[in-house]
This record gives sequence, structure tokens and C-alpha cells, in this order.
Amino acid sequence: MRRVAYYKGCLASLSAKELDTSTQALAPRVGLELVELESVTCCGAGDIHEAEPDYYLHLNARILAYAEATGCDTLLTVCNVCTLNLRQANFMLKGDDTLRARVNKNLAEVGVPAYSGEVDVRHLLWEIAEGEGYELLKVAAHKGLKGLKVAPFYGCQILRPSKIMGFEDPDRPWSLERIIEACGGVAIDYPAKIKCCGFPIIQAREETALGELIQPIEQAIEAGADVMVTPCPLCHLSLDAWQQKLEAATGRSFKLPILHLAQLVGVAAGIEESELKFKRHIVDPRPALERLEV
Amino acid sequence: MQVALKVWRYDAATGDRALREYEIDAPEEATLLDCLDIVKDKVDGTLAYRKSCRMMICGSCGMRMDGAAVLACKVRMYDVAQAGQVPVISAMGNLPIVRDLVVDMDPFWDKFKAMKPYLQPGYDRPEDGREYRITQPRMDAIKKEALCINCGCCVSECNAMESDPEFLGPQALAKGMRFVGDPRDAATVERLEQYSGEHGIWECTRCFFCNERCPKGVDPRDAIAKLGAEAIKNGIDRDMGAKHAKWFVRSSETTGWLRETELVPKTQGIVSSVKQMKFAMNLISHNKAGLAFPPHVAKDVGEARQLHKIVREQDRQGAFGHIQGERALAKLAHGVHDEGRDPYGPGSFPKPYLPEDTE
Repeated sequence: MRRVAYYKGCLASLSAKELDTSTQALAPRVGLELVELESVTCCGAGDIHEAEPDYYLHLNARILAYAEATGCDTLLTVCNVCTLNLRQANFMLKGDDTLRARVNKNLAEVGVPAYSGEVDVRHLLWEIAEGEGYELLKVAAHKGLKGLKVAPFYGCQILRPSKIMGFEDPDRPWSLERIIEACGGVAIDYPAKIKCCGFPIIQAREETALGELIQPIEQAIEAGADVMVTPCPLCHLSLDAWQQKLEAATGRSFKLPILHLAQLVGVAAGIEESELKFKRHIVDPRPALERLEV
Repeated sequence: MQVALKVWRYDAATGDRALREYEIDAPEEATLLDCLDIVKDKVDGTLAYRKSCRMMICGSCGMRMDGAAVLACKVRMYDVAQAGQVPVISAMGNLPIVRDLVVDMDPFWDKFKAMKPYLQPGYDRPEDGREYRITQPRMDAIKKEALCINCGCCVSECNAMESDPEFLGPQALAKGMRFVGDPRDAATVERLEQYSGEHGIWECTRCFFCNERCPKGVDPRDAIAKLGAEAIKNGIDRDMGAKHAKWFVRSSETTGWLRETELVPKTQGIVSSVKQMKFAMNLISHNKAGLAFPPHVAKDVGEARQLHKIVREQDRQGAFGHIQGERALAKLAHGVHDEGRDPYGPGSFPKPYLPEDTE
């Protein structure tokens, strides 16, 4: 077991609790011991970064400092937006000693431990897409997905900007497909899998956001997907919950079930539904899964 | 070396579209633009594309290669040819196609002009009549934005513009930041008001395609974030996007976590929120929304509150807060960090799908 500091972020703490419970249930099966962080806050979701960038940097430095204080070398995330915000702040602090010294001085003033730059921020997706995590995943996914057709949806902020994410080619990602295949599913290919779900502007510019949201949903259904999987709870919220608004706006019926990454792997690993909590979804994925007797 | 290309040909007059394959012999140092020149000279003189300087400075030869916008003169073809790839070349996105690889840039220039891309007079001139000097830190604020060559690669891929063609977009907004951040410009507030309109700063969907595609390192998304920070610093925060952003700040220092249930009324106002009631009730019935009781409060959230107070006193609000991180981020190269991984090799997934690519 590898100890990793676990940052669940806002959504897995609140509206997407199912992401937290399925991640907690899956982690030991892929060799991860989660050390939960107590004294951490929201990463700012890109919004604080935009509104008050200096405060964003300090808020994230504080999260990184508490992660480092656990003695773990990895801060595990389960959300694209958290991953980008924390990685970006981490690179700023690691790459500029003067800036880090200034931030640490401010952290010390409020009683937060200093951050020396020893933590790597990694998404669960990357942990199980290669290396030991991938080998353990293949063993854990013993129940398989029986050829379930799964549309991978990456979302933006796990791929771009590539200089901050850096895990895979942002135009030719492979990690979700590899995991789907390892679980016994069939990965569906469609162009919008690397595009935006519209979530960041879904409150302020709903119409524009829905124009983005329809692309992955429409294309995945056309390509024959039974379900869609995403590593991001914000993408999940817009794809799952706003799908009803899309149906109202277009007069069409989509009913495409959207799974969190940990849930999809959880199904293949035989994790109980009490942990996967599908009833918290707006589009119920259970009929699609039952039909295939997964 | 032998280079094979597939090019989407298009004639707007007849509406005819066809994917043509060309095979040519090119020098090993050839760029995509060189290859197109060879095709045009030796194979098919009717192929249409724009070019001028051939050295990444005029911004004429923006086009798509395998679905991604590039400057044709910047892409070396050696690795692609060696890997046996046959890339698909097509016109840029989000702009109407005139012919083959040539797009109509008028909508692009209209937005560019709307930004008033020139200094607005009225700044204080030095009394002794000498030239106006800008300090290095002030110049740093706009040095990336000043690199823009107006090629349109960022606009081609903008996800928000695909959905709303009126969105000002990454190029125009980055240009806007170039003037908002210029101390000689006397119209900062007017500009921020204008850029904060319906199709402005707060319509950016943060897909980061613009940063990824820009061949000059402008990072337009970062420029838009700077504009957002400047707008809020100057109190120009009536837009729902600005209110949304400010609510995250408020949440982080009160409970530590996003106060989701209050986000809609704080962003859209009460009337609009009431209209969302039916939608909200459905979310509540699935435990997706609702008031957490007792409220979900992060341990030691007082530290975040104190930090906020301290950084506000240190006065790095606005674009300056963004710029302070640029030096460190500039050390990172675009692309995959693991040098050993071959994007075209085993384990990589097929190139992005293109419409009718299978022809």
C-alpha cells in the first residue's frame, strides 16, 4: 500500500458524495492508502484564480503544505479543476524560490506549516492508468464490464494546458480508454471527448454552455455508447444534471448515464452499490448496467 | 523524404468538398508549408492557402493538422513522415471557409477592431518633454500579450465561440489585455466595462484550447484571467461571471468549501433563481443540492480568512497577481513531460476524429 494525501475537493464533499465513497472503496484495491486532509479548503475552482490570483496562490499553498505535512509525496485528486489549480500553484511555488519564500512567510503568520515543494499533485486517473496502479486495477476489475460500450469524456482541465498537466498528449489521450479496456469494456471514440462540457459558464452563460454540453452527449449516443465516464465531478454535474435542461431545450430525449471514473472501475471490481450510490445520479445508470448483467 | 498528406479541398461557390491525398518528395527539414508549396508547384496548382513570411511572424498560414490548429510554417514534417503518418490538413475552425485552406478573416478582424487596439490618449506625459518610459515590471504585465501575430489559431479552437459565434474570443481579449495593462493607455476602466459585456471576459469557458494552440506563447486564457482580475479590482463586477467568481472567494473564507446552494442566487440574483426552482427541486430530490446542516465547515478555516486579509494588504490584486507566477510557469514546456512516450507509438490512442475522415 502506498500512502497518499487525499484531497477530495468541494463536489466530492457535498453534491457528489458518491465520488468520495466510491473512491474510498476503490483505493485499497489499487494499492492506495488515502490519508484524508482535515484542514483544507476549496482550491478556488479557477474562480478565485481569476478574481484574486494572489489569494488563490496562498489558498493552494496552504493545501499543499498540509499535504506535505502528512509525509506523503503525492497529493491525490479526483477532480480535473482541483488538479489544474493545485498543479499550477505547485509549479509556481516550486519554480520560484522568491515567491515561495514570500508565500511561506505569510503562511507562517497564520500558523500554517511551510511548504518546501516536495509534493506531486496527481489525479486518480493517472494513478490507475499506468505502473503499479494499472497492474492492480487489472486484478481488481475481476467482474469485468462484459463489453459495456463506454464513452470516455476527459474534460478540459485534465489535458490542458499540457505544460501544467503533462501526463498524456492532450490531443491523443489514452488513459481512460486503457482503463475501460482493462475493465472489460469497449471504449467508444468520438470527437468531443477532449472538449469542454460548459460547466465553468453554466451559471453565467447557460445558453453558451448548453451549446457545448450537447456535443459530447449527442456524439457519444450516436457512436453507440451505453454509458459515459468522466474523471471530473464538474463535468459529471453538467453532463448528468444539466442533461435535463438540454432535453427541455431541444425537445429530445438523451438519458445517457454518466459515471465517475471510480464508479466505473468500482462496477468492474464488484464494489457494493451502497458505496457507488447510483441513486444520487439524475440519469439513473442502473438500467444500463443491469441490462448487461454487469 | 517521402511525405503523404490528405487535404480537405473546398469550393464555396459550388459547395464541393473532397479529401485529396498527395504524395511528394520533400527535403528532410521541410515544414508543412514547404510541403504544401511543393504540392502546389508540382502536383496541383489549384490548391489554395495563405502564406507570406514563412518564419512564424506574419500569422498568415494558420490551418488545422489532424484537427489541431497550427502555423504551417512552424510544423516540421520529419517525425510525422518517419512515423508513416498521413496527417489530414483542413481549414481553421470557427471562421467561414472561402476555399480549401483559406478562411474568411472578416469576423476575426471585426472583433479585433472592436477592442480599440491602439492607445487611448490622455495619459500624463513627462513634463520635461522626454519620451514616456515604462518600467520593466509594468512591461512584464503585457509582454506575452504583445507577442500575438493575429494568426487565429486560438480562435479556431475556441469552444465557447463554437457555441456563441459572437463571443469576443481569445485573440481579441488577449489584445484587450495588452492595452488594459499598458500604463500609457488612458481608457482602462472604459475598456474593462466594454470587455465585461455579454460576449466578453466572463463568457470564456476555460477550455484552455487557446493556450494549447497559440504558436507564439501568448496564452490567451491567462490574458482573460488577468482581465477578470483587473475588472474585479476596479469594481467592475456586475456580470454574473464576476459575481460567481466573487462567491468562491467569500465561500473559501467563511466555510472553506463552496457554498453551493447559495451560488445560484449569488450569481444570478433572486428572480432568476426562483425560475430555476423546478430544476433545483429535482437536484434536491437526488441529494445533489440543498442546505447542509450542520453547515459543512472546514477545520481551521480561520487561517484562510486571515490569509485573505494578509494578501489583500500586500496589494497584489489584479493582473499583478497572475504575472508573479509567470516566471515559474515559463520554465515548463508544452506537451507531454515524459520524453520517452511516443505520441504516435504503441499505447497512444488514434488521432482525433475528423468529420468524414474515413472516406
